[in-house]
Amino acid sequence: MRPTWLLGALLVVSVGAACKGKQGDGKTIRVGVVTSLTGSQAAFGLAHKNGYTIALNEINAKGGVMGKPLEVVFYDDQSKPDQAVQGVAKLIDQDHVPLILGSFGSENTRAMVPAVDQRKVPLIVPTATADNIMEAGSPWVFRICAGSSAYATSTTNFLKDNGAPRTLALIYENTNFGQSNAAAMKTVATAAGMTVVADEGYQPKSPDYKALLQRVKAKEPEVVYYASYLLDAVTLMRQSEEVDFNPKFVTSAGTGFSAAEFPTSTDKGAGKYAEYTFSVSQWLPSSPWAGSKEFDEAFTKLTGGHPAYHATQAYAALLLAADVLSRAKSDQPTAIADALRKTKLDTAFGPIQFDAKGQNAHPVSITQVQHGQYKLVWPGDSAESKPVATPAWSERH
Amino acid sequence: MEFTLRALQAVLNGLLTGSLYALIGMGMALIFGVMRIVNFAHGAFLMVGMYATYMLYDHLHVTPYVGFLVAAALLLGIGVLTYHGLLRWVAERSHFMQILLTLGIALILTGGAQLVFGADYHKANLPLLDVNLHLGRHITINAPWLLSFAITVVLATGMFLFVMKSRFGRALRAIAQNRYAASLMGIHVVRTEALAFGLGLAAVGFAGGLLLPVFYLYPTVGDEFTGKAFVIVVLGGMGSIEGAAVAGVVLGVIESLTSLYWGNEWALTVDFAIFLGVLSLRPSGLFGSQRV
Repeated sequence: MRPTWLLGALLVVSVGAACKGKQGDGKTIRVGVVTSLTGSQAAFGLAHKNGYTIALNEINAKGGVMGKPLEVVFYDDQSKPDQAVQGVAKLIDQDHVPLILGSFGSENTRAMVPAVDQRKVPLIVPTATADNIMEAGSPWVFRICAGSSAYATSTTNFLKDNGAPRTLALIYENTNFGQSNAAAMKTVATAAGMTVVADEGYQPKSPDYKALLQRVKAKEPEVVYYASYLLDAVTLMRQSEEVDFNPKFVTSAGTGFSAAEFPTSTDKGAGKYAEYTFSVSQWLPSSPWAGSKEFDEAFTKLTGGHPAYHATQAYAALLLAADVLSRAKSDQPTAIADALRKTKLDTAFGPIQFDAKGQNAHPVSITQVQHGQYKLVWPGDSAESKPVATPAWSERH
Repeated sequence: MEFTLRALQAVLNGLLTGSLYALIGMGMALIFGVMRIVNFAHGAFLMVGMYATYMLYDHLHVTPYVGFLVAAALLLGIGVLTYHGLLRWVAERSHFMQILLTLGIALILTGGAQLVFGADYHKANLPLLDVNLHLGRHITINAPWLLSFAITVVLATGMFLFVMKSRFGRALRAIAQNRYAASLMGIHVVRTEALAFGLGLAAVGFAGGLLLPVFYLYPTVGDEFTGKAFVIVVLGGMGSIEGAAVAGVVLGVIESLTSLYWGNEWALTVDFAIFLGVLSLRPSGLFGSQRV
């Protein structure tokens, strides 16, 4: 027996075994998840994974879906759009999942839209806010979170209720997430009569934003609206003090400015520099929907810290997936998409129901960091505390 | 007045960032000058230096301003070992082989860091970060940046003098001029090159340790710095370490001024426009054809 022959035989056997493994054994119902477990957005990807894990345990404790346990196949997109597309291809072509959830960021999720559209498999978008994800008009995409226009509208209405400042600066990272949120804010705020005095995209993950902040400071905006991830949010706030940049309202499109770590004094947080910043929020542990408190407790038990809304969105997305599969009573993508369109589900993240475009109308509130915690300050009827005017850096202690 | 002060502040910030760029660039220039190897793993080694400093800070509470020395010593050792284990064997081979090898090293280091430390990022939140020094009403300097600038100036000068004045430095320059002639003159080429590679990495070890307090670290943090080091080496004249030092500072200042007058989104574009411009119009860089 020649060694090469043996090797060839081994190869055939192992490939056969691998294929068999990937088909699934029919004893579980599988859904695919693409998220950013490594790379620059890993902090959010891990929050996602924790949210999915809690939902999965809950679903399977209640007997799974269609009498079988639910199984989640994770694909790590490394925070890169091309990898997110690879993930879609791998999950559908090799793992044959009939439904995909993901990814975390707008850049990656936007890249996934044509890939699911082409393969005709429904995609549930838990967290990506860029408007162009829905504007692609794919009938296979369903988004449970509010988009960048909703962020801009809530922020603008909040400003109107608080003295209606006139001048606005936009500072955003040069990615789909940043650009989409800045463009939405520009449109909405201009329509509301504000003047955009600075429109500054930046290169994310730089150590030095002082020159950028100086440039914006020279325009003397009353309001600044940030679209940044956590790493940059911390740097931007620290360096705002260095250059003594003092807008009356520091507002933001969530994300970095709404991450659980941001207002804390841990190594990753901005600590006292986060104080007084405003952010849009889609969910807080104190949100009125049934299950919010329970999710907060389960998350705290699992990780030792409170969840930010990204984890809750992942949690709700998987509960939605289980609900849809149960109603569709099928593992065919078309049946699942039909069931998604007929969704009427109450979750810890609020009620989920999709419009003709596949968008869930989720309310956006405004929070402010007060004494190291996110406090709901707008809309007025559900506010936990009043918004506090931002003092100049020199007046803080 | 206000206008000039803003520009002055931007130049100052550029100098502070640029000094770290200079250190990183000098390391790459030294390696390129002596061995003609473009070290694509330069940023990955910077990441290793940052993690080493961070581990010391996190586990043993050693301040990064001491830890950076340990990181440099560690990278010196890693450099010598990497040279003997890997680089030495491709020194005479095509540039393509060398590029593949250093790229491979970079991938292994980045992947290894993800495996060992996870993909999440870390930061050393020193109390020193909260200290700002004010010069008049308009100029502010963050203390850790100033401290790292001072240390960098000392290190860069030391490195320059070492290469230009010491016996070992002369051996390095001899090899850079002609490997064979140098070995005929009794220079131990392998040993000298090993130490040169080690020193080049020690420079990023220093830089990594000093960068940690003002930045954050994650496994792929080095990627952007490899690109910048590249620009610096080309701008400074391939292989000229004093050229790299000046080019690093120049790049820092240009980035800062671009950011102030044109917008931060253009900073990286300008970096690479300079890169292309220098390559096509003045390939010998700022410092002519001078080598290490």
